[in-house]
This record gives sequence, C-alpha cells and structure tokens, in this order.
Amino acid sequence: MWAAKAKTCCRQLRDRVLRLLADSFTPDRHWIQNHIANCPRCQRRLAQLGNVELALSLLKSQPHNLDLLMRANTQAIGVLKHCLRTTPKAEQLRNVRPDMGIIERCARYKHSLANVAACIIIAVVMKSSTFSSAKMLESKGHKAVEHYYASNAGEDIARDIFTTNA
Amino acid sequence: MTGRAVSIELLWDIPIPKALEQTQGWVLCAMQWHGRELVNMLWRILGNEQDVCDAYQDTFLKLAHHEHGCKPENVKAYVFRSANNIAISILRHKLVEKNNLPPRITARRNTNSPAAELDTRYMTEALRAGIAELPEHLRDVVTLHDLGDLPYEQVAKILGITAATARVYRCKAIQLLAVWMRKETR
Repeated sequence: MWAAKAKTCCRQLRDRVLRLLADSFTPDRHWIQNHIANCPRCQRRLAQLGNVELALSLLKSQPHNLDLLMRANTQAIGVLKHCLRTTPKAEQLRNVRPDMGIIERCARYKHSLANVAACIIIAVVMKSSTFSSAKMLESKGHKAVEHYYASNAGEDIARDIFTTNA
Repeated sequence: MTGRAVSIELLWDIPIPKALEQTQGWVLCAMQWHGRELVNMLWRILGNEQDVCDAYQDTFLKLAHHEHGCKPENVKAYVFRSANNIAISILRHKLVEKNNLPPRITARRNTNSPAAELDTRYMTEALRAGIAELPEHLRDVVTLHDLGDLPYEQVAKILGITAATARVYRCKAIQLLAVWMRKETR
C-alpha cells in the first residue's frame, strides 16, 4: 500500500519536473536563441528538426476524398457477421457523411451573417456619433448663450445664471 | 455416427439468442466513435485510399474476433494499436516491394537542389519510410500523437505509459527521424 502510494508520488513529481524543464527550455529563450545564432552545429540540427516537423505538417495537410470514411465503413461492415451487417446502425455507418466543422456548416450563412454584423456596427456607430454630436451641439449652444449674456448683461450676471443652472 | 450428425444439424437450427447478437453491437459502436479518427490516422500513415480501407477492415475484423468475440477492456486502445500495427506492416511491405523494383524505376531525382528538398512528395515519402523504421515504442507515440492527433494523455493511456514518457519518446523519435532524413537527402 505504502509502496504504491510512494510510486504514484514519484511519478507525479517526475511529471512535474519534466513539465517544468520543458517550459524553461523552450527554443524561444533568449540565451538559447543567442547560442543558436552563433553555433553552426546547432543551426544544422535545428534545421533538421524543422525539416521533420515540416514533413509531418505536410502529411497532415494532405486531404483525402470525402467519401473515404463511408467506403472504409462499407468494406469493414461487409466482413462482419450477418446479424451486424443488417442492423440500422450498420446502414447508418455505410452512409456516413464527413463531419463538417462549425465554420464549414456556417459557410452558407456567411453573407447573411456579414450583412447582419455590418448593420449592427453601422447602428452602433450611428448611435454613438449621434449622441456625441448632440452633446457637442448642446455644449456649444450653452457657451454661445453664456457669451451673449456676458457681453450684454455683464459677466457677473452671466456667471450667476449659468453656474446656478449648471 | 448418424445420431451425432443429426445433433450437429440440430445445433445449426437453434436460433442465435438476441442477447448474443447484441453483444457484438459494440463493434459498430467502436466504428461510429473512432472511425473518423482512425481513417485520418491511417490515411496519414499510408497515403493510399485502398490501403486505408484494407487496414480499417482488418482492424475491425480483428476486433470482432478478439478472444472469441469478447469485448476488450479498452476498445479505443485496442482499435488504435491494431490499426497502427496493421498500417505499419502494410507500409513496410510496400517499402520492401519498392526497394525490390529495378533501380531505373526507383531512380531518385537529384535531391541537392533546394527545390527538390522542398518537394512535398519526396519529404512525405522519406518521413513515412523513417516512421516504419522506428523502434515500436517510439513509432507508436509518433503515429498516435502526430498522425492520429491524440493528446499525450490519451496516447499514454493507450500505450500504458505516462504522458511525460510519451513526450520523451516523441522527442527521441523526432531526433532519429531528423538524422535519417538527412542521410536520405545526402
């Protein structure tokens, strides 16, 4: 019991240390970058590793036919027991369609969505600009009236009126 | 003798119980749950649609006949490991076939030019050949994590190792592949 607990504890600690080390020695660290910039051997090695990563991403990016899953299911179901071949689930798997991501599923609505978004933005902009214009107009009008009173009735009276109003 | 023959004949006539029929329904469930991921992984390993269908079929046939039709403890692990092994055997077989072809047919192009180095087909073929040559424990991690798009935690669960070990194995595998791919291009 104790040995099992100790083993789990060791494993957790090892995992944590490895994760910490992995976080501290990422290639984008300044001192690593500096070293690589001046070391041709490391540059070569890094280029080789980059080559493998590139080849892996190339493998991943190669698309297959959309009906491949359907064909594979049909072929696999064809060799299973008769009782399995005739089930509704088998029929469903034979006709399975590739699962589209949310972006692809929404693709047909993209124009409508873009229009709605544009309308919302225009409305928001109009509203904010209308309000700001109205406020600007109000403050300008206020200043003009204050100036009129100041020039005609005297600054003290104008200050009294407008400070008490404010 | 005749009596025995009759008894066997009678056995054939006994209808299969409904429960027994349903016990293999998990094979179809496994196909439904993991089919998409499996096809993607097999396609990336093999790069040929007919081979993908064959490997997929063999995987589920193997699953259906596992210990006389019993459900494995971890269906996902079983399915992914089987598919992986089957795909690698197909890949190795194809590589051997390719190597046995006359040199005129398999003649490589000049790979010294930068354009050739960036040739996608050449790179992917070299990578596939490298993956097929990797030791099993390293190869499993690369195929499941990089080609099967499974996170390290799931890879670890499937292979019965820790996630940290899976990370270390992947790192070693990439280093080996880098060295081999460099040798190929020389």
